[in-house]
Amino acid sequence: MANLNVDSVKQRTFDAIVVGSGISGGWAAKEFTEKGLKTLVLERGRDVKHLKDYPTTNLMPYEFEHRGELTREIKEKNPVVSRCYAFREDAMHFFVKDEEQPYVQEKPFDWIRGQQVGGKSLLWARQTQRWSDLDFEGPARDGFAVDWPIRYKDLAPWYSYVEKFAGISGNADGLEELPDGDFLPAFPLNSVEDYFKKQLKTQYGNRHVISARCAHLSKPNQIHLDQGRAQCQNRVLCQRGCPFGGYFSSNASTLPWAERTGNLTLQPHAVVQEVIYDEKAARATGVRVIHAQTKDVTEYYAPVIFVNASAFSTNQILLNSTSHRFPNGLGNDNGLLGKYVAFHNYRARISAEYEGFQEYATDGRNPAGGGYIPRFRNLHQQETDFLRGYAAGFRADRSKVEDKSGFGAELKKQLLNPTWGTWKVGSHMMGETIPKEESRLSLSKNQKDAWGIPLLNISLDYDANDDKMVADYHAQLEEMFTKAGFTNIQKTDSKQAPGLDIHEMGGVRMGHDPKTSLLNKYNQLHACPNVYVTDGACMTSTSTQNPSLTYMALTARAVDHAVRERKKQNI
Amino acid sequence: MKRRAAVKGLLIFTGGLVLLPSCMLERDKASVQLKHLEVSGDDEKMLAELVETLIPTTDTAGAKTLGLHKFTLKMVDEVYGEEDQRAFQDGMAAFQKQTKKQTGSTFAECTPPQRQEVVAAVNAGNAAPEVLAFYKIVKDQTILGYLNSELVMTKLRKYELVPSRYLAYYPVKAAKVTSNG
Repeated sequence: MANLNVDSVKQRTFDAIVVGSGISGGWAAKEFTEKGLKTLVLERGRDVKHLKDYPTTNLMPYEFEHRGELTREIKEKNPVVSRCYAFREDAMHFFVKDEEQPYVQEKPFDWIRGQQVGGKSLLWARQTQRWSDLDFEGPARDGFAVDWPIRYKDLAPWYSYVEKFAGISGNADGLEELPDGDFLPAFPLNSVEDYFKKQLKTQYGNRHVISARCAHLSKPNQIHLDQGRAQCQNRVLCQRGCPFGGYFSSNASTLPWAERTGNLTLQPHAVVQEVIYDEKAARATGVRVIHAQTKDVTEYYAPVIFVNASAFSTNQILLNSTSHRFPNGLGNDNGLLGKYVAFHNYRARISAEYEGFQEYATDGRNPAGGGYIPRFRNLHQQETDFLRGYAAGFRADRSKVEDKSGFGAELKKQLLNPTWGTWKVGSHMMGETIPKEESRLSLSKNQKDAWGIPLLNISLDYDANDDKMVADYHAQLEEMFTKAGFTNIQKTDSKQAPGLDIHEMGGVRMGHDPKTSLLNKYNQLHACPNVYVTDGACMTSTSTQNPSLTYMALTARAVDHAVRERKKQNI
Repeated sequence: MKRRAAVKGLLIFTGGLVLLPSCMLERDKASVQLKHLEVSGDDEKMLAELVETLIPTTDTAGAKTLGLHKFTLKMVDEVYGEEDQRAFQDGMAAFQKQTKKQTGSTFAECTPPQRQEVVAAVNAGNAAPEVLAFYKIVKDQTILGYLNSELVMTKLRKYELVPSRYLAYYPVKAAKVTSNG
């Protein structure tokens, strides 16, 4: 009997445990297994195998019962996730439905979750822009949150490292505010996007439109072919899962790579209840897992634990990891765990038309989605009555239009012989929001989920800074559009709740000082250094870039650190 | 209701054999299973002729052959909100009544020229608001269903699942018509 127990414990003991298989968890898995560590990856959702488990990937539009639309029943049952642009008939099986995992909205928050192997890396918008020191130095310069414990030079080699493997398309644009990376060829701007780029250059000098940098294999290198991936085929049906592995996802890239090392154990349906803290050893020893379906409880052990459950779920796990030493959550000596969360302000949009370039249209589809306007407000000094600034998407589309006014044979003829319409241009704002102490997550005292885990209370809102930024975005973009000769300009403020940006961050922030932060410069919990957090929860501030690339770089860097620290027996 | 129960019972009796001879269909019910809408067999016949009047059979199949009246019913029943469903329901009754008054027969019984005359007026906006609301829904869904039909997407305006290209400066004169928009 004793032997059996020893064997059982042995079977449940690994060199490293990674909680979560999304974009950062997948990277942790790849790095650990490549370095020879027996690694357990725990994923609360079901398994999704590349190619095999993309049920809608090759369906034609007419093969969808409702031609891609959501039914009224689904919308009524799932008001939150139905607001997400990608939750449609072709990809809704990759999202958590509202009733499956409730949470408490102390203030309105649309929590969009993708819980399956691969997580939201299957669903992401694939935009990958580096941060610069203008971002890392933001909190220190402008006096909010705490200083980032790292600078661009700390992360630059790791950006290169992950870019080469993931495959990022982009141009060397030579912009200080958006450092160049190790790029595959960019997807080009079209005639009107190029025109706007030139207009901004002439009219402003310091405002830029670049080809959006994105995680698509425009021209794969050997390392991508070695992963079993192929060139992006411009389907732009990415949310279904890509049969070519044309865009980066854990499923197509890091997880199969990790699997090939023979060092990976992937455990789906594994709901992590808490990280186990051993009071005597004064360290984390493993995690307690509830099987999502059978509800059986199992403990797994490892000397290093990475929590990559997605920003807010990581907070939830750490808050729920209580012990005599940490009664308020693992590593939470200063009471700041769950606080200073933030997101990206995606409320504002602007659209217009352009009469020029009638001789051009586009053909095929652009996976990059068009252009990207890096932040230009308050870049080197404070210039406005709000802190920080915004980046923006910019795209021009020209599509064929059908005259639908008639009926009968004439209507049929029109539908089958559409003509080119005018160019439509559009932009959306990606605003930095300021992490504040009152923006916080906590555990519900009286409500639990189906696995007995306290629900997460979310209390997060816009503030006056965000409203001013929306107004400024509208004013600036309107001016830029007007100067470019765009007409019929329409501005909208969706007033959407935080969360729909799917860029929630923070709660377990990095910092120099254990008194004011949870993680150190290598993403270790100050107070429990064999636990690392490298997903969105670690973010000290949000800046304006889509954050996934930074999570990948932080993760690879942290694993490298953890393995070196293990060798030195420091953790 | 009793008849429906009997039919169901029969289905169970035959081991769930889902071959329902048309003679067993309730004459006053649509052939499409509907949760929210009340649509009679006559309504369905009217819709079939209405969508066919909108997109008729020419050298290629028209809306009736493509089953777009059934598609419209399914979409309105399963995708549309309550308010639109009511507008559809009320407008459908008003359209039936108006046609009867105008032509002396039901829309389905009308000759094709008569149907075109009725639709021409509605299409030009000459009808009661509830009729116009109904007509708009039917027309929208017929067009959506047509443009997204297998026939159009594979034969008439080819949809490319795998374009394998993005041409950013595409000269318009060379443009060929596809469904890729």
